[in-house]
Order: sequence, then structure tokens, then C-alpha cells
Amino acid sequence: MSYVWDQIRAAIPLITHGNPYLMNLLWVSIRVALISTSAALVIGLPLGLALGLGRFRGRRTLQILANASLALPSVVVGIALLLLLLPGGAFGSLQIEFTLPAVYIAQAILALPYIVALTPAAIQGLPPGLLAQARALGAGRVQLSLLALREAKIGLLAAVIAAAGATIAEVGAVVIIGGNFEGQDQTLASGLMDQFNYTGHQPLVTAIAIMLLALILAMAGVLTVIQQRTGGIRLRFRTAA
Amino acid sequence: MHLIWEELRVAVPLIWHGNPYLLSIIWFTLKVAAVATAIATVIGLPIALALALGRFPGRQFLRMLANASLVLPPVLVGAILYLLMTVQAPLGPLRLIWTREAVFIAQTILALPFIVALSAAAIQALPEGLLSQARLLGAGRRQLSILALREARIGVIAAVIAALGTSLSEVAAVTIIGGNIYGYDQTLASATLFEVDGAHYADALAIAIVLIVMILILMCALGLLQQQSDGIRMRFRSAT
Repeated sequence: MSYVWDQIRAAIPLITHGNPYLMNLLWVSIRVALISTSAALVIGLPLGLALGLGRFRGRRTLQILANASLALPSVVVGIALLLLLLPGGAFGSLQIEFTLPAVYIAQAILALPYIVALTPAAIQGLPPGLLAQARALGAGRVQLSLLALREAKIGLLAAVIAAAGATIAEVGAVVIIGGNFEGQDQTLASGLMDQFNYTGHQPLVTAIAIMLLALILAMAGVLTVIQQRTGGIRLRFRTAA
Repeated sequence: MHLIWEELRVAVPLIWHGNPYLLSIIWFTLKVAAVATAIATVIGLPIALALALGRFPGRQFLRMLANASLVLPPVLVGAILYLLMTVQAPLGPLRLIWTREAVFIAQTILALPFIVALSAAAIQALPEGLLSQARLLGAGRRQLSILALREARIGVIAAVIAALGTSLSEVAAVTIIGGNIYGYDQTLASATLFEVDGAHYADALAIAIVLIVMILILMCALGLLQQQSDGIRMRFRSAT
């Protein structure tokens, strides 16, 4: 095991001294996680609410479809998006292939299924009487949605954790659509993968791996703390009602 | 839309006429998914049973760990395996790096969290009285396990399907640890990456189409299963 140990010992100084290449990877990863997850939330929450609260024909089929989209392979998203963004593709005139904005789009698409599929699951897990009562008391669509989101906060944040985790950890789409350009649109995950293209500088491999793990844990930790603070809100609601 | 049509016109015949390279990748991918999932199931189910049924100190922590392992980035698993398997590393003498065997190992490790965490959750979600009643009636550890697996079979099968899904579509660990060697240890996902690197977009598209069709078939199976599970739960309720 001394080999692995040596690798870790060599990697630590790279991180603590703020190696600029590493810091750039971290910064890109954080930006991708924030922007792509936010975009997925803005688009996905209304869809998730419609699936969770709506009472329209075909809702069940759409929900099965949303569940299936969780298994969307990242390389498929990557190649499909690339063929749309390349010159000659439908959105080729935007000229964003192999750039960071393209990476944002790809990761938002990969994060979207988590929000759309897991939000209705969380809403349907609420006590059955709650929403029916609100409806009976004359809550409008907006009020009902806000109530559902507030009550399903635990499940909702689990969905956000999964979505943000995917934006940080996925490489298939990032590598294809971003071209994996060092210093431009390389994330920690795709940077880690890139190291193996030229039988890597191994302390760097270990350093990126440690930072990737740290970022995932930090993200999950922060969101879990937010998730667990729901108790107060729910209590307040119950006593007010 | 021009470009995508052009590439599709080249890609579809590749699939249609059974391009031999494509067929060999499909075959290897299916083999990897089947073997990795089977091994992960054999190793993972006893662990899941122990986590869900066992009454030992620290099981709560281990359950949390199992759930956390679901979000472990595959690229990280690939890097860790690389650091263990490369020439100077502890497992270096086994010469596993950049072989098909390494791909099987990597995919098994990535499938394991799905089996362990999702099966354990399914068993824990069983009606509370069921297992304690069996315990009370004197069921041994083995009988209890068989009962738990039989009752939670829908959840367990869903876990197996999820594991199959990752084995099919995962690309990072396979590429790092297998080396993505043309015609040797490529899966559909890693071959897509390979063809994009070479700017062979029609080939990449053909492979991606096959991959998405496989995933769709798998997800249809899961959807059917979920619908059936509603029926089964109802039957269970009316019987009590």
C-alpha cells in the first residue's frame, strides 16, 4: 500500500498550495454545478409540479417516461447535442460547440430528469389529506404548488442533491460537447479523465480525485443541512392551520 | 436540423446491415452488463440482507454509507482502481490494467451500490409486522432472508435493472481502466466517446442509437414492473 500512500502524500501539497490548474478545474466545476442545477430547477420544477399535482389524462404515462429519462446515458446526450450545435446543425449559428456554455446546457439536460422525476415522487409521498384539504379550502394553483413544495422539501432537496451530483460527476457529455479543453471547459471530473490520456502525472490524478470527492461531499453536506432544517417550517404550518 | 439528418442517413444503415464492429461492441457490452450485474447481485444481496435485517451496532451508519456510495462519481472509481492497478501499485503484478477483466471489475464495483442500497431499502419498506412475525414464529436466518427477498422482489428486481442500466451507459471508469481500446474492450458508451474523438460522428450516432434503444427496453421492463407492483400491493392489502 506504500505506493498509494506516496501518491496521496505527493498530492496534498498540490492542493494546499493552490496549484492554478487545479483551482481552475474546481472553479469550472462549481460554476457548472450552480448554473446547470439552477437551470434544471427553473425548467424542471414546473414540470415536476404538473406531474405531481396535475389531474390530466396521460399523467401516469408521462411519469413513467420521466422515470425512464433518469437512465439517459450521458454520451447519448453529448452526441445529440453536438450534432445540434456543430456548424450545419440546427443551432450551429450560435457557435457554442466546444465551449463552457455548451457544457452548461449538457449538464442541465442531464440534471433535469432528477428534478422532473423525483419532485412528483416527493409530492405523492405527502400525507394524502394535506393537499386535498388545501384544495377544498380554495387554494389556487400557485398556493397549492407553494404548499406542496414546502411540505415536500425533504424529497425535493434529495432531488437537488442527485441533480447537482450528476452535474459534478458526469463526464460523458462534458467531454463530447466541451471537447475537454484544459483551462476552458474542463471540470474536475473531465480533467481527471483527461489525465489518463497521456498516462498521467500521477500526483495530479490523486489531487484531482481528492478534490472531486471533497466537492461532492461538500455539496451533499450543505444541501443535507438545508434539507434537515424543514422541521421548524412544517411545525409552524401545522399549528397555523 | 440538416446535420443530424445527414448523419442519421449514414448511421441507420450501419445498424441495419449489422456492421461487424458494431455487433462486436454490442456483444461485449451485453456481456459486461450481464456478468457485472450478476456478480454484483451475488455479492450485494447478502450485504443488503445484513443491512436491512441485521441488528448489529453501527448498521445505521453502514446504511448511510451504502446510500452515499450511490453518488460516488464513476470517474473517481476509475481513478482509484487505476491507482491500485497500475504497474507499480499493489495490484500491479496482476497486470489487469487496460484489459477486459479490468472492465468487468470496474463495472461490478459500480453496479454494487445499486444492488446493496436499493435492495436494502426495498426490504426495509416491507410491512413492519411481516418479518417480526416470521421471527416470532421461529424463522431462522436463512428462512427470514428468503422470505424478505421474496416479499421485496419487485424492489430487488428494480435494483438489478438499475445496476444493468449503469453497466450499459457508464463511460468514465471503463475508459480509464480499460483504455478504450478499439475492438478489444470497448462498450457502447466508451465506443461513442472514441468515435467522437475521431470526429466519426455517423459511427458515434449509430452506437448511441443502439445504446439508447437498449436503455429504453430496460426502462420499459422497469415501467411494467412498477405497474405490476401496484397490483401486487393491492392484493397483499386485501389479503390481510
